[in-house]
Amino acid sequence: MFSYDIWNALRSMRRNPILTSLMVAAIAVGIGVSISMLSVYHIMASNPIPHKSDQLFRVTLDSWGPLRPYDDSDPMKTPIQITYREATALMRTGEASRQSAMFETGLVVEPDSPDLIPFETRARAAFSDFFYLFDVPFLYGGPWDKLADDEAAQVVVLTPAINNKLFGGRDSVGEKILMSGRTFTVTGVIDRWEPMPRYYDTRNGPFQLVNEIFIPFTLTPRMELWSHASSSNWKAEKIQNHAEWLNSEAVWIQYWAELKSDLEVQAYQDHLDNYAREQKKVGRFQRPINNRIFNVTDWLDYREVVPNEVKVLVALGFLFLVVCLLSSVALLLTKFDGRSMEVSLRRALGASRSALLGQHLMEVMVIGFVGGLLGIGLTQLCLLAIEAMISQAPEYMLRMDWQMIAAAVVIAIVTSVIAGLFPAWRSCVTDPAQALKTQ
Amino acid sequence: MELRPIVSALMRHKTGTLLVALQIAVTLAIIVNGLFIINKRIEKINRPYGINVDSIITVSVRGFGEDFDSGASLREDMDLLRNLPGVVAATSINQIPLSGSGSSTGLRSVPDETATSTSATIYNTDEYGLTTLETALIEGRDFYPEEVEYSVPGQAQRDIPPVVLVTKALADKLYPDGDALGRPLYWPSMEPSTIVGIIGHMMGSWPDWHAINNSVFQPRTRNNFRYLIKAEPGARDSLVPVIEEQLAELNRQRLVRSVTTHEDVVTRTYEADRAMANILIAIIVLLVGLTSLVIVGLASYFVSQRIKQIGTRRALGATQIDILRYFLVENWIITTVGAFAGCLLTVAVSYLLETNFDLPRLDYSYLLVCVIALWLISQFSALFPARRASAVPPAVATRTV
Repeated sequence: MFSYDIWNALRSMRRNPILTSLMVAAIAVGIGVSISMLSVYHIMASNPIPHKSDQLFRVTLDSWGPLRPYDDSDPMKTPIQITYREATALMRTGEASRQSAMFETGLVVEPDSPDLIPFETRARAAFSDFFYLFDVPFLYGGPWDKLADDEAAQVVVLTPAINNKLFGGRDSVGEKILMSGRTFTVTGVIDRWEPMPRYYDTRNGPFQLVNEIFIPFTLTPRMELWSHASSSNWKAEKIQNHAEWLNSEAVWIQYWAELKSDLEVQAYQDHLDNYAREQKKVGRFQRPINNRIFNVTDWLDYREVVPNEVKVLVALGFLFLVVCLLSSVALLLTKFDGRSMEVSLRRALGASRSALLGQHLMEVMVIGFVGGLLGIGLTQLCLLAIEAMISQAPEYMLRMDWQMIAAAVVIAIVTSVIAGLFPAWRSCVTDPAQALKTQ
Repeated sequence: MELRPIVSALMRHKTGTLLVALQIAVTLAIIVNGLFIINKRIEKINRPYGINVDSIITVSVRGFGEDFDSGASLREDMDLLRNLPGVVAATSINQIPLSGSGSSTGLRSVPDETATSTSATIYNTDEYGLTTLETALIEGRDFYPEEVEYSVPGQAQRDIPPVVLVTKALADKLYPDGDALGRPLYWPSMEPSTIVGIIGHMMGSWPDWHAINNSVFQPRTRNNFRYLIKAEPGARDSLVPVIEEQLAELNRQRLVRSVTTHEDVVTRTYEADRAMANILIAIIVLLVGLTSLVIVGLASYFVSQRIKQIGTRRALGATQIDILRYFLVENWIITTVGAFAGCLLTVAVSYLLETNFDLPRLDYSYLLVCVIALWLISQFSALFPARRASAVPPAVATRTV
């Protein structure tokens, strides 16, 4: 029966090649447009660290000035970064099991090899906890130890790209590198690590690759490291040198802590509020106490990392799919209507309604399946086109994962069955005698 | 022409007709909102820069090493660049206009911290800044060479320059009466600088920023790790590798991070806007194509169903024009019903986009234009099957099936 249905479906599709291909095209285009938009959204809005996103917390403190809030449109918003003073104080006193202050800077690497000219690399100053907080995978070696944090040791963790450039990709643990005039010892090389979005620093490009090396945060004063990324300051301060910069009210440091239970979260919140109260006594933190901590997903929401453009495109993409669905129903109605003679004849010869319904649905599913397959191909094309238009987007941002492929197939078949159910049902309930008589 | 027989014929194909009308409605909603977004993006991209982007080359450098003297290095680099054949002018600057990154401040016309400040992009350049950018003063004067401050090792910097240039947009914001020239502007530290020149128009660094047209120029080269070079017409592209090579050779204590045309920088800045517009254009083209194909398909089906009927009408004296008109009017009714529903849907969709995604309010003239366009497209699509119908000979009526 099944093969008979398929045979019938194919025969019927061949009889109306234009209508059939139009339907297949409608489904394919609908899938291609809606799923490519959804894919981009799906990746941008994904949870980058699902197993501990509710245990990692971004710490923010309202250290802003008394005259106006950090964000005029929403006075409850805290500055998204913190000052160096707060960062060092929290690292000293904070009671999280793991925590790290961090910021992005840049270093000049002066390679030993005469073939290589000095080059600049992005670098992140962080504490050794950084690697444990975010479960950073290592290719060789590992993070530096706590002692290195305390002593501000000249140690570095490399990315595979820099390790390839400097050491030809071999295990470089223990090797020395000259950077910005100082000799660093390699303690580890991270493996391919592509958190998407790059949640630990949404300010400086949430959809960039991790192309930065890592050095101890405590080197900041000695090496006079400046932030290479954004900073802002409510106070008009005359900053003439690095020490004044570190002591200023400028916010430029990101801070993350791992808190494993609600109890720890509450304790940490209390700790922050107490800290703010202490600071009030020395004339800082002049705004009402407003310290907020966010877990990873809340933080990504708060920072609105998914651009509104993408959401608009997803919405319009699915409206487009609705149009395709409506076209398919209209075309199927037309097609099945034109076949009332055949249906009536078969009914008169003893075929049951359910057999005919089954045959119609089979035809619809074949159309949906072919449309879905073509749709997956079209989705890939759409993603390639988007990639060509956005040079800054990392390639893996525009990739269709298995979830999206499954979604495409399911949407194709479900929509075509929904689209086909009514026309098929209507064509089968026609009274055969009536249809035959009118001829 | 009687509408009644057409309507009653359509009522016999209620579902199909309604579906096509609904499809037209959704199509209208997407097209109107899509075109509106596209147009906003194009308007944004086409705003005048106030700079001759096409002739400029941008350079980014970084000094390193213990005894790096940024002031001396800068002078050396400028000497080299200004003497290269094909170079019209060169300057150093703290940030590249229209690049999407840079720094800003809040300025006031009164020394009062509680007064509302006006946001502005801060540029640091020398006396060649305006010439290189090809942006013109409309009032006052440019910087004198002796006003430009260079960094000297071991010497403290001035914090506030005595004179500044501002764009007209900023001048008008600070002094709405138009008398900004010669008056002070106050920095966040409440120290003043005198406005000595007003630039007609020039865009700042972030195209999405509300204060994009507000810029202030300071005569100094502190932290100027970026250079702008204005090339002679036609010389730009061949200059890029020359500059890269010669700068790299000149000083081994200074990295050349990048040498690229300003055009590339600006293209990159607007990349997302352009992509958004292109994706929407593609969606609209596909949509119009699909909807017209469906209209053709459905009308053809209606025609094929009624061959006999048409023959009978023709035999009873209806002219070819009558038949043609019948099918076109039928199509017009479906489209109009769809367009009417579409207007409601468009308003609903635009309301949702406006409230959920911060889009500007829809300009309803788009709706009118799109309804007219839809009528034309739909009539045009129906024309082909309608002409086939009108070609049915009266003799068909006399034949049995």
